[in-house]
Amino acid sequence: MRTIHFTLNDEAVSAQAAEHHSIVDVLRDRFDLFGARESCAQGLCGCCTVLVDGTAVSGCLYLAAFVDGKTVTTIEGLAQNGKLTPIQEAFLETGATQCGFCTPGFVLMAGQLLAAHPDPDDEEIRHYLSGNLCRCAAYPEIIAAVKLAAGKLRAGRL
Amino acid sequence: MTPFELAEPKTLKEAVGLLDADDPTVRPIAGGTALMLMMKAGVFRPSKLVSLRAIKELTSIEIVKGELTVGATTPLAVLEHSEAVRMHAPVITRALRTLSNIRVRNVATVGGALAHADPHMDLPPVLIALGARVVVQGRSGARTIPVADLFAGYFETVLAKDELIASLIVPAQDGRRAAYLKCTTRAVHDWPALGVAVSVAADGKAIKNASIVISAATETPMRMSAAEKAASGATDDAALRRAGDAAAAEAELISDGQGSAAYKKELVRVYVARALRAALGAA
Repeated sequence: MRTIHFTLNDEAVSAQAAEHHSIVDVLRDRFDLFGARESCAQGLCGCCTVLVDGTAVSGCLYLAAFVDGKTVTTIEGLAQNGKLTPIQEAFLETGATQCGFCTPGFVLMAGQLLAAHPDPDDEEIRHYLSGNLCRCAAYPEIIAAVKLAAGKLRAGRL
Repeated sequence: MTPFELAEPKTLKEAVGLLDADDPTVRPIAGGTALMLMMKAGVFRPSKLVSLRAIKELTSIEIVKGELTVGATTPLAVLEHSEAVRMHAPVITRALRTLSNIRVRNVATVGGALAHADPHMDLPPVLIALGARVVVQGRSGARTIPVADLFAGYFETVLAKDELIASLIVPAQDGRRAAYLKCTTRAVHDWPALGVAVSVAADGKAIKNASIVISAATETPMRMSAAEKAASGATDDAALRRAGDAAAAEAELISDGQGSAAYKKELVRVYVARALRAALGAA
Protein backbone atom coordinates (compact mmCIF):
# COMPACT_ATOMS: atom_id res chain seq x y z
CA MET A 1 0.00 0.00 0.00
CA ARG A 2 1.06 3.55 -0.65
CA THR A 3 -0.53 6.97 -0.56
CA ILE A 4 -0.87 8.63 -3.93
CA HIS A 5 -1.52 12.35 -4.34
CA PHE A 6 -2.99 13.69 -7.54
CA THR A 7 -5.42 16.20 -8.99
CA LEU A 8 -8.75 14.57 -9.77
CA ASN A 9 -11.23 16.61 -11.82
CA ASP A 10 -9.68 19.91 -10.66
CA GLU A 11 -9.49 18.89 -7.01
CA ALA A 12 -6.34 17.92 -5.08
CA VAL A 13 -6.89 14.44 -3.64
CA SER A 14 -4.97 11.61 -2.03
CA ALA A 15 -5.81 7.94 -1.70
CA GLN A 16 -4.45 4.68 -0.39
CA ALA A 17 -3.71 2.37 -3.28
CA ALA A 18 -2.06 -1.02 -3.53
CA GLU A 19 0.78 -1.24 -6.04
CA HIS A 20 -1.17 -3.70 -8.17
CA HIS A 21 -4.35 -1.61 -8.37
CA SER A 22 -5.22 0.16 -11.62
CA ILE A 23 -6.46 3.73 -11.76
CA VAL A 24 -9.94 2.40 -12.60
CA ASP A 25 -9.91 0.34 -9.38
CA VAL A 26 -9.02 3.43 -7.36
CA LEU A 27 -11.58 5.71 -9.06
CA ARG A 28 -14.35 3.22 -8.32
CA ASP A 29 -13.31 2.02 -4.86
CA ARG A 30 -11.98 5.24 -3.30
CA PHE A 31 -13.86 8.00 -5.13
CA ASP A 32 -17.17 6.40 -6.18
CA LEU A 33 -16.53 7.46 -9.77
CA PHE A 34 -18.08 4.86 -12.06
CA GLY A 35 -17.89 6.60 -15.46
CA ALA A 36 -14.64 4.83 -16.38
CA ARG A 37 -15.59 1.15 -16.58
CA GLU A 38 -13.41 -1.86 -17.10
CA SER A 39 -15.06 -3.75 -19.93
CA CYS A 40 -12.68 -5.69 -22.20
CA ALA A 41 -9.87 -5.33 -19.63
CA GLN A 42 -7.34 -5.35 -22.49
CA GLY A 43 -7.15 -1.72 -23.60
CA LEU A 44 -9.14 -2.46 -26.76
CA CYS A 45 -12.63 -1.10 -26.07
CA GLY A 46 -12.04 2.35 -24.60
CA CYS A 47 -14.72 2.11 -21.89
CA CYS A 48 -12.11 2.78 -19.18
CA THR A 49 -10.67 5.90 -20.87
CA VAL A 50 -9.39 8.61 -18.52
CA LEU A 51 -7.08 11.54 -19.20
CA VAL A 52 -3.72 11.61 -17.39
CA ASP A 53 -2.08 15.03 -17.69
CA GLY A 54 -4.52 15.69 -20.53
CA THR A 55 -3.64 12.56 -22.54
CA ALA A 56 -6.07 9.66 -23.02
CA VAL A 57 -5.05 6.33 -21.52
CA SER A 58 -6.79 3.02 -20.95
CA GLY A 59 -7.39 3.11 -17.20
CA CYS A 60 -7.55 -0.67 -16.98
CA LEU A 61 -3.91 -0.90 -18.13
CA TYR A 62 -2.62 1.98 -16.02
CA LEU A 63 -1.34 1.41 -12.50
CA ALA A 64 -2.79 3.82 -9.93
CA ALA A 65 0.72 4.38 -8.55
CA PHE A 66 1.64 6.02 -11.86
CA VAL A 67 -0.81 8.92 -11.43
CA ASP A 68 1.00 10.12 -8.29
CA GLY A 69 1.71 13.83 -8.83
CA LYS A 70 -0.33 13.95 -12.02
CA THR A 71 -3.70 15.30 -13.14
CA VAL A 72 -6.55 12.88 -13.82
CA THR A 73 -9.72 13.83 -15.65
CA THR A 74 -12.72 11.52 -15.88
CA ILE A 75 -16.08 11.93 -17.60
CA GLU A 76 -17.46 13.25 -14.29
CA GLY A 77 -15.04 16.18 -14.47
CA LEU A 78 -16.16 17.59 -17.82
CA ALA A 79 -19.41 19.42 -16.97
CA GLN A 80 -18.88 22.75 -15.21
CA ASN A 81 -21.53 23.92 -12.69
CA GLY A 82 -23.98 21.38 -14.05
CA LYS A 83 -23.54 22.54 -17.64
CA LEU A 84 -22.56 19.82 -20.11
CA THR A 85 -19.74 20.41 -22.59
CA PRO A 86 -20.61 20.91 -26.29
CA ILE A 87 -19.38 17.37 -26.99
CA GLN A 88 -21.67 15.88 -24.33
CA GLU A 89 -24.59 17.96 -25.66
CA ALA A 90 -23.89 16.76 -29.20
CA PHE A 91 -23.94 13.10 -28.11
CA LEU A 92 -27.36 13.64 -26.51
CA GLU A 93 -28.76 15.62 -29.44
CA THR A 94 -27.77 13.00 -32.02
CA GLY A 95 -28.87 10.00 -29.95
CA ALA A 96 -25.30 8.70 -29.96
CA THR A 97 -25.52 7.23 -26.48
CA GLN A 98 -27.91 4.26 -26.78
CA CYS A 99 -27.16 2.12 -23.68
CA GLY A 100 -24.48 4.59 -22.58
CA PHE A 101 -21.90 2.10 -21.38
CA CYS A 102 -19.20 3.14 -23.88
CA THR A 103 -20.22 6.82 -24.00
CA PRO A 104 -17.73 8.24 -21.44
CA GLY A 105 -14.84 6.78 -23.44
CA PHE A 106 -16.17 8.07 -26.74
CA VAL A 107 -16.78 11.56 -25.30
CA LEU A 108 -13.26 11.77 -23.86
CA MET A 109 -11.64 10.48 -27.05
CA ALA A 110 -13.76 12.86 -29.16
CA GLY A 111 -12.41 15.68 -26.99
CA GLN A 112 -8.84 14.59 -27.78
CA LEU A 113 -9.65 14.33 -31.49
CA LEU A 114 -11.25 17.77 -31.69
CA ALA A 115 -8.40 19.38 -29.76
CA ALA A 116 -5.97 18.10 -32.41
CA HIS A 117 -8.28 18.32 -35.46
CA PRO A 118 -11.03 20.95 -35.01
CA ASP A 119 -12.72 20.02 -38.32
CA PRO A 120 -12.23 16.27 -38.85
CA ASP A 121 -13.65 14.38 -41.83
CA ASP A 122 -15.32 10.97 -41.49
CA GLU A 123 -12.06 9.14 -42.13
CA GLU A 124 -10.22 11.02 -39.38
CA ILE A 125 -13.07 10.41 -36.94
CA ARG A 126 -13.14 6.69 -37.77
CA HIS A 127 -9.37 6.40 -37.45
CA TYR A 128 -9.27 8.26 -34.15
CA LEU A 129 -12.17 6.40 -32.57
CA SER A 130 -11.28 2.97 -33.96
CA GLY A 131 -9.97 2.00 -30.51
CA ASN A 132 -13.42 2.53 -28.96
CA LEU A 133 -16.10 -0.12 -29.27
CA CYS A 134 -19.87 0.41 -29.05
CA ARG A 135 -21.77 -2.85 -28.71
CA CYS A 136 -25.02 -1.09 -29.59
CA ALA A 137 -23.24 -0.17 -32.84
CA ALA A 138 -24.29 3.48 -32.65
CA TYR A 139 -21.31 4.36 -34.84
CA PRO A 140 -23.21 6.47 -37.43
CA GLU A 141 -24.74 8.57 -34.64
CA ILE A 142 -21.36 8.85 -32.90
CA ILE A 143 -19.74 10.17 -36.06
CA ALA A 144 -22.63 12.62 -36.46
CA ALA A 145 -22.18 13.66 -32.80
CA VAL A 146 -18.49 14.37 -33.29
CA LYS A 147 -19.22 16.50 -36.35
CA LEU A 148 -21.97 18.38 -34.52
CA ALA A 149 -19.63 18.91 -31.57
CA ALA A 150 -16.90 20.13 -33.90
CA GLY A 151 -19.29 22.76 -35.27
CA LYS A 152 -20.38 23.82 -31.77
CA LEU A 153 -16.76 24.14 -30.61
CA ARG A 154 -15.70 26.10 -33.69
CA ALA A 155 -18.70 28.42 -33.29
CA GLY A 156 -17.80 28.90 -29.62
CA ARG A 157 -14.30 30.00 -30.59
CA LEU A 158 -15.50 32.70 -33.02
CA MET B 1 -3.51 -9.23 -10.32
CA THR B 2 -1.46 -10.42 -7.39
CA PRO B 3 0.36 -7.92 -5.11
CA PHE B 4 3.93 -6.88 -5.88
CA GLU B 5 6.52 -4.36 -4.82
CA LEU B 6 7.08 -1.29 -7.01
CA ALA B 7 10.46 0.46 -7.18
CA GLU B 8 10.81 3.84 -8.86
CA PRO B 9 14.47 4.62 -9.54
CA LYS B 10 15.53 8.02 -10.92
CA THR B 11 18.52 6.90 -12.99
CA LEU B 12 19.30 4.10 -15.44
CA LYS B 13 22.18 2.92 -13.26
CA GLU B 14 19.94 2.71 -10.20
CA ALA B 15 17.32 0.81 -12.22
CA VAL B 16 19.84 -1.78 -13.43
CA GLY B 17 21.00 -2.21 -9.82
CA LEU B 18 17.44 -3.03 -8.72
CA LEU B 19 17.09 -5.86 -11.26
CA ASP B 20 18.16 -9.39 -10.43
CA ALA B 21 19.98 -11.61 -12.93
CA ASP B 22 18.66 -14.76 -11.25
CA ASP B 23 15.08 -13.78 -10.44
CA PRO B 24 12.57 -13.78 -13.32
CA THR B 25 9.85 -12.39 -11.01
CA VAL B 26 11.67 -9.03 -10.95
CA ARG B 27 11.06 -7.10 -14.14
CA PRO B 28 11.23 -3.56 -15.47
CA ILE B 29 7.98 -1.77 -16.35
CA ALA B 30 7.69 1.36 -18.48
CA GLY B 31 4.33 1.97 -20.19
CA GLY B 32 3.14 -1.33 -18.81
CA THR B 33 0.39 -1.91 -21.40
CA ALA B 34 1.72 -5.36 -22.39
CA LEU B 35 2.87 -6.36 -18.92
CA MET B 36 -0.51 -5.44 -17.40
CA LEU B 37 -2.19 -7.90 -19.79
CA MET B 38 0.18 -10.68 -18.70
CA MET B 39 -0.34 -9.88 -15.03
CA LYS B 40 -4.12 -9.75 -15.41
CA ALA B 41 -4.09 -13.10 -17.21
CA GLY B 42 -2.00 -14.52 -14.36
CA VAL B 43 0.77 -15.66 -16.72
CA PHE B 44 3.20 -13.27 -14.99
CA ARG B 45 3.16 -12.83 -11.21
CA PRO B 46 5.93 -10.41 -10.30
CA SER B 47 7.51 -10.07 -6.88
CA LYS B 48 8.88 -6.66 -7.82
CA LEU B 49 8.48 -4.28 -10.74
CA VAL B 50 11.12 -1.65 -11.43
CA SER B 51 9.41 1.36 -12.98
CA LEU B 52 11.45 3.22 -15.60
CA ARG B 53 9.02 6.15 -15.69
CA ALA B 54 11.00 8.50 -13.46
CA ILE B 55 14.21 8.12 -15.49
CA LYS B 56 14.51 11.35 -17.46
CA GLU B 57 17.62 10.36 -19.42
CA LEU B 58 15.66 7.78 -21.47
CA THR B 59 13.15 10.08 -23.20
CA SER B 60 14.65 11.84 -26.17
CA ILE B 61 14.53 11.77 -29.96
CA GLU B 62 17.67 13.11 -31.63
CA ILE B 63 19.63 12.84 -34.84
CA VAL B 64 23.22 12.04 -33.89
CA LYS B 65 25.77 11.83 -36.73
CA GLY B 66 23.00 11.14 -39.22
CA GLU B 67 21.46 8.38 -37.11
CA LEU B 68 18.08 8.56 -35.38
CA THR B 69 18.52 7.95 -31.64
CA VAL B 70 15.42 7.32 -29.52
CA GLY B 71 15.39 6.94 -25.72
CA ALA B 72 13.83 3.65 -24.62
CA THR B 73 10.97 5.12 -22.60
CA THR B 74 9.79 7.43 -25.38
CA PRO B 75 6.06 6.76 -25.80
CA LEU B 76 5.05 5.40 -29.21
CA ALA B 77 2.72 8.40 -29.74
CA VAL B 78 5.70 10.77 -29.40
CA LEU B 79 7.57 8.71 -32.01
CA GLU B 80 4.47 8.72 -34.25
CA HIS B 81 4.24 12.53 -34.21
CA SER B 82 7.98 13.27 -34.36
CA GLU B 83 9.03 15.23 -37.44
CA ALA B 84 12.59 13.91 -37.02
CA VAL B 85 11.30 10.33 -37.23
CA ARG B 86 9.13 11.07 -40.25
CA MET B 87 12.05 12.67 -42.09
CA HIS B 88 14.46 9.88 -41.17
CA ALA B 89 12.31 6.79 -41.71
CA PRO B 90 8.70 7.54 -42.72
CA VAL B 91 7.87 3.83 -42.62
CA ILE B 92 8.04 4.05 -38.80
CA THR B 93 5.49 6.88 -38.78
CA ARG B 94 3.18 4.93 -41.10
CA ALA B 95 3.50 1.69 -39.12
CA LEU B 96 2.69 3.44 -35.84
CA ARG B 97 -0.57 4.77 -37.21
CA THR B 98 -2.07 1.28 -37.13
CA LEU B 99 -0.20 -0.04 -34.08
CA SER B 100 -2.85 -0.92 -31.49
CA ASN B 101 -4.88 2.22 -30.67
CA ILE B 102 -4.22 5.81 -29.66
CA ARG B 103 -4.50 5.21 -25.89
CA VAL B 104 -2.02 2.36 -26.01
CA ARG B 105 0.38 4.41 -28.18
CA ASN B 106 0.14 7.25 -25.64
CA VAL B 107 1.51 4.95 -22.94
CA ALA B 108 3.47 2.07 -24.51
CA THR B 109 7.17 2.74 -25.08
CA VAL B 110 9.76 2.02 -27.76
CA GLY B 111 11.88 -0.07 -25.40
CA GLY B 112 8.87 -2.07 -24.28
CA ALA B 113 7.85 -2.78 -27.87
CA LEU B 114 11.24 -4.47 -28.28
CA ALA B 115 11.84 -6.04 -24.86
CA HIS B 116 8.42 -7.69 -24.71
CA ALA B 117 9.38 -9.86 -27.71
CA ASP B 118 5.85 -10.73 -28.68
CA PRO B 119 6.34 -11.77 -32.33
CA HIS B 120 3.01 -10.13 -33.26
CA MET B 121 4.30 -6.63 -32.50
CA ASP B 122 4.68 -4.19 -35.39
CA LEU B 123 7.91 -2.32 -34.65
CA PRO B 124 10.42 -5.21 -34.46
CA PRO B 125 10.15 -6.28 -38.14
CA VAL B 126 10.22 -2.65 -39.29
CA LEU B 127 13.32 -1.88 -37.22
CA ILE B 128 15.08 -5.04 -38.42
CA ALA B 129 14.39 -4.08 -42.05
CA LEU B 130 15.85 -0.63 -41.35
CA GLY B 131 19.03 -2.14 -39.87
CA ALA B 132 18.37 -0.66 -36.40
CA ARG B 133 20.23 -1.56 -33.22
CA VAL B 134 19.67 -1.12 -29.48
CA VAL B 135 22.04 0.05 -26.78
CA VAL B 136 21.65 -2.18 -23.74
CA GLN B 137 22.78 -1.20 -20.24
CA GLY B 138 23.96 -3.81 -17.76
CA ARG B 139 25.79 -3.72 -14.44
CA SER B 140 29.21 -3.79 -16.05
CA GLY B 141 28.52 -1.40 -18.91
CA ALA B 142 26.70 -0.99 -22.18
CA ARG B 143 26.62 -3.17 -25.29
CA THR B 144 25.02 -2.75 -28.70
CA ILE B 145 22.81 -5.42 -30.26
CA PRO B 146 21.29 -5.35 -33.76
CA VAL B 147 17.50 -5.62 -33.43
CA ALA B 148 17.83 -8.58 -35.84
CA ASP B 149 19.76 -10.45 -33.09
CA LEU B 150 17.60 -9.35 -30.13
CA PHE B 151 14.95 -12.06 -30.21
CA ALA B 152 15.76 -15.50 -28.85
CA GLY B 153 12.31 -17.05 -29.14
CA TYR B 154 8.61 -16.62 -28.47
CA PHE B 155 8.44 -13.73 -25.92
CA GLU B 156 12.18 -14.13 -25.30
CA THR B 157 15.12 -11.82 -25.92
CA VAL B 158 18.86 -12.33 -25.56
CA LEU B 159 18.89 -9.73 -22.75
CA ALA B 160 20.02 -10.83 -19.30
CA LYS B 161 17.48 -10.31 -16.50
CA ASP B 162 19.56 -7.41 -15.21
CA GLU B 163 19.97 -5.62 -18.53
CA LEU B 164 17.82 -2.80 -19.86
CA ILE B 165 17.33 -1.38 -23.33
CA ALA B 166 18.49 2.25 -23.02
CA SER B 167 18.08 3.48 -26.57
CA LEU B 168 17.29 2.59 -30.14
CA ILE B 169 19.44 3.70 -33.06
CA VAL B 170 18.14 3.74 -36.64
CA PRO B 171 20.96 4.32 -39.15
CA ALA B 172 20.73 6.74 -42.07
CA GLN B 173 18.60 5.20 -44.80
CA ASP B 174 20.46 6.85 -47.72
CA GLY B 175 17.45 6.96 -50.00
CA ARG B 176 16.32 3.41 -49.28
CA ARG B 177 12.57 2.93 -49.45
CA ALA B 178 10.58 0.89 -46.99
CA ALA B 179 7.11 -0.45 -46.38
CA TYR B 180 5.30 -2.36 -43.66
CA LEU B 181 2.11 -4.30 -44.32
CA LYS B 182 0.18 -6.45 -41.91
CA CYS B 183 -2.81 -8.70 -42.16
CA THR B 184 -5.28 -8.76 -39.30
CA THR B 185 -7.85 -11.48 -39.74
CA ARG B 186 -10.59 -10.48 -37.27
CA ALA B 187 -10.63 -6.73 -36.45
CA VAL B 188 -8.38 -3.87 -37.53
CA HIS B 189 -6.68 -3.56 -34.12
CA ASP B 190 -6.24 -7.28 -33.63
CA TRP B 191 -2.82 -8.85 -33.43
CA PRO B 192 -1.76 -9.59 -37.00
CA ALA B 193 -1.61 -13.04 -38.57
CA LEU B 194 1.35 -11.72 -40.54
CA GLY B 195 3.55 -8.64 -40.64
CA VAL B 196 5.92 -7.93 -43.54
CA ALA B 197 8.55 -5.19 -43.43
CA VAL B 198 10.76 -4.53 -46.43
CA SER B 199 13.45 -2.02 -47.20
CA VAL B 200 14.97 -1.73 -50.65
CA ALA B 201 17.48 0.31 -52.54
CA ALA B 202 15.96 1.03 -55.91
CA ASP B 203 18.35 1.60 -58.80
CA GLY B 204 16.05 3.16 -61.38
CA LYS B 205 13.28 0.59 -61.27
CA ALA B 206 15.28 -2.47 -60.21
CA ILE B 207 15.41 -3.62 -56.57
CA LYS B 208 18.85 -3.83 -54.98
CA ASN B 209 19.84 -5.04 -51.51
CA ALA B 210 16.35 -5.90 -50.34
CA SER B 211 15.80 -6.52 -46.67
CA ILE B 212 12.65 -8.61 -46.14
CA VAL B 213 11.41 -9.43 -42.64
CA ILE B 214 8.29 -11.31 -41.62
CA SER B 215 6.71 -11.36 -38.17
CA ALA B 216 3.63 -12.68 -36.36
CA ALA B 217 3.56 -15.80 -38.55
CA THR B 218 6.90 -16.97 -37.13
CA GLU B 219 8.22 -17.54 -33.60
CA THR B 220 10.37 -14.41 -33.84
CA PRO B 221 10.65 -11.77 -36.57
CA MET B 222 12.79 -13.36 -39.30
CA ARG B 223 14.73 -12.14 -42.31
CA MET B 224 13.87 -14.05 -45.46
CA SER B 225 17.22 -14.47 -47.18
CA ALA B 226 16.03 -16.59 -50.11
CA ALA B 227 13.32 -14.02 -50.83
CA GLU B 228 15.89 -11.22 -50.58
CA LYS B 229 18.04 -13.00 -53.17
CA ALA B 230 15.01 -13.59 -55.41
CA ALA B 231 14.04 -9.92 -55.18
CA SER B 232 17.47 -8.72 -56.27
CA GLY B 233 17.24 -7.01 -59.63
CA ALA B 234 13.46 -7.40 -59.72
CA THR B 235 11.69 -4.89 -61.93
CA ASP B 236 8.27 -6.37 -62.69
CA ASP B 237 5.37 -7.99 -60.87
CA ALA B 238 6.39 -11.49 -61.93
CA ALA B 239 9.76 -11.05 -60.20
CA LEU B 240 8.13 -9.65 -57.06
CA ARG B 241 5.84 -12.67 -56.99
CA ARG B 242 8.88 -14.96 -57.26
CA ALA B 243 10.25 -13.29 -54.12
CA GLY B 244 6.89 -13.97 -52.42
CA ASP B 245 7.10 -17.62 -53.47
CA ALA B 246 10.64 -17.86 -52.08
CA ALA B 247 9.54 -16.41 -48.74
CA ALA B 248 6.58 -18.80 -48.54
CA ALA B 249 8.98 -21.70 -49.17
CA GLU B 250 11.60 -20.70 -46.60
CA ALA B 251 9.51 -19.34 -43.69
CA GLU B 252 9.03 -21.60 -40.66
CA LEU B 253 5.45 -20.73 -39.85
CA ILE B 254 3.47 -21.27 -36.67
CA SER B 255 -0.26 -21.75 -36.22
CA ASP B 256 -2.01 -19.60 -33.64
CA GLY B 257 -5.34 -17.91 -32.95
CA GLN B 258 -4.79 -15.59 -35.89
CA GLY B 259 -4.47 -18.32 -38.47
CA SER B 260 -3.07 -21.74 -39.34
CA ALA B 261 0.46 -22.16 -40.69
CA ALA B 262 -0.99 -23.28 -44.05
CA TYR B 263 -3.08 -20.11 -44.28
CA LYS B 264 -0.15 -17.91 -43.25
CA LYS B 265 1.99 -19.50 -45.96
CA GLU B 266 -0.41 -18.14 -48.58
CA LEU B 267 -0.45 -14.78 -46.80
CA VAL B 268 3.36 -14.65 -46.91
CA ARG B 269 3.34 -15.39 -50.63
CA VAL B 270 0.95 -12.53 -51.38
CA TYR B 271 2.08 -9.97 -48.79
CA VAL B 272 5.83 -10.16 -49.49
CA ALA B 273 5.20 -9.31 -53.16
CA ARG B 274 2.72 -6.63 -52.15
CA ALA B 275 5.14 -5.08 -49.61
CA LEU B 276 7.96 -4.96 -52.18
CA ARG B 277 5.61 -3.23 -54.61
CA ALA B 278 4.59 -0.77 -51.87
CA ALA B 279 8.23 -0.06 -51.01
CA LEU B 280 9.06 0.70 -54.65
CA GLY B 281 6.31 3.31 -54.63
CA ALA B 282 7.11 4.63 -51.15
CA ALA B 283 9.36 7.32 -49.73
